[in-house]
Amino acid sequence: MSLKTRVSNIIADFDFFNSWEEKYEHLISLGRELPELKKEFKTDAHLINGCQSKVWLHCVCKNKKLYFYADSDALITKGLVALVVQLYSGVEANEILSSDIDVFSKIGLRSHLSMNRANGLKIMLNTVQNYSLKYYNE
Amino acid sequence: MSPSIINSRDFFPYLKASPSNIIYFDNAATTQKPLPVIEKISNFYSNKNSTVHRSVHELGSYATEEYEKVRIAIQRFVSATHSKEIIFTSGATESINLVASAYKQFIQPNDIILVSPIEHHSNLIPWQILAKERGAIIKKIPMNNDMHINLEGLKKILSKQVKLISVHHVSNVTGIAQNIKELVKEAKLFNIPVFVDGAQAAPHIKINVQDLGCDFYCFSGHKILGPTGTGVLFVKSSFLDSMKPYKTGGQMVSSVGFKESVWEAPPLKFEAGTPNIAGVIGLGEAIKFINSLNIDNIAKCEKKLESFLGDELKKIKGLVVYGEGDRAAPVFSFNIEGVHHYDLATIMSEKNIALRSGQLCNQGIMAFLGVEGCVRASLAFYNSHEEIEIFITTLKRVIKLLQK
Repeated sequence: MSLKTRVSNIIADFDFFNSWEEKYEHLISLGRELPELKKEFKTDAHLINGCQSKVWLHCVCKNKKLYFYADSDALITKGLVALVVQLYSGVEANEILSSDIDVFSKIGLRSHLSMNRANGLKIMLNTVQNYSLKYYNE
Repeated sequence: MSPSIINSRDFFPYLKASPSNIIYFDNAATTQKPLPVIEKISNFYSNKNSTVHRSVHELGSYATEEYEKVRIAIQRFVSATHSKEIIFTSGATESINLVASAYKQFIQPNDIILVSPIEHHSNLIPWQILAKERGAIIKKIPMNNDMHINLEGLKKILSKQVKLISVHHVSNVTGIAQNIKELVKEAKLFNIPVFVDGAQAAPHIKINVQDLGCDFYCFSGHKILGPTGTGVLFVKSSFLDSMKPYKTGGQMVSSVGFKESVWEAPPLKFEAGTPNIAGVIGLGEAIKFINSLNIDNIAKCEKKLESFLGDELKKIKGLVVYGEGDRAAPVFSFNIEGVHHYDLATIMSEKNIALRSGQLCNQGIMAFLGVEGCVRASLAFYNSHEEIEIFITTLKRVIKLLQK
């Protein structure tokens, strides 16, 4: 699935819900469905700093494609990182690097799901970019 | 209409006309500004803009006069002996940095600086740096579990080696006040100067630096209805001459030779460069506003809000409020079993309730409490009973959503 298709799928999923409660419940359920991050990767080395909650993001590269595994101690952040995983897991590094997508402002969750420091979304996306650069150059 | 504690809310454009009806419970971070403060600043720039202490023209003397009037107003506000004991800064943070820098010469290797383990970062980091630079040692003031300073424990570690004690007056996390008077009494037995960070006290209780007996006291203008970028530092006159300037430049010198200069008398010695004149004049208006409400009335009004909110929070199952006993400020930090503080604050914000979450610039107190973070609701006199009711109803609903 191309990145473009992934983006429109995510937006369509959120559009399905009208109220903010439902949208949040959807986001939270995405977090709950996220495959468990193995304990061995839940280390400080995989911890993303700068969020109010803890977020671990681990990446492996197989046949040029990047696969992301993540976890968080907060429900909303876990939902956000699940979206990041849903977006980028299984995508080639060069496609991630050449893409310029903005899905998070389009899912209808206002204020706090913008790029603020507290939710760490920006840092999650930067981490994805850094992994992509690393594996692209390898 | 003149402002009083009854009609005070009407004077805040943000509260009156807030298009989204935000319930603003983040007053410990910064307060909203009353119209007279906003108008004073706007009027200054529109009609009276000029710099202070330099120009002899009429506007220049107006600016100087207004600026110096604020110094006297602040002197009275904190009950200082002389107006020269009041130094304008950019905020509590700069006030602390100023003293940490100007006080450097009095600190020798192996001297001890005592700081409580639950200080806001701005009342810790400047002392850490000072200690490191001078080879001094920074030590914790012993605390009781209820987050009051343990005076008996403190007495045991006081000695001639201790060269400074710095402590908050009211906690930014719990709203609890420390017994500064008693602490100063013990410190004086060893001639130890005491610095008090009053950032969370000045907006809520009457400050009397003479009664407290402390040597330094500071607060931020923006937490007390004034503009951002304004702050106050009180320095007891006996320290004013010996302390070195923290920054240098124009206005703070009386004569300048090519190789050496002579400093102005305090407080100007500490106010190099063009100060935040409009800000200080705005701060003066904020103090005037508070005086017309009367700080004791503010305290009484806030006490009512505090006890109502406190009682309501107690009724919520699994909710833990940090800090016990009487609060000097209507500040409540809490966690709820099974709910992450970030999730809670995020969804409350979605419901137009402004709270603070995280470590609250105080990792020390988080470690002390053994938590990663928390949610803080901090009120001001202009908040209402109704707002607390909406807050509690919403909070219960959000907890249900998150505990599902």
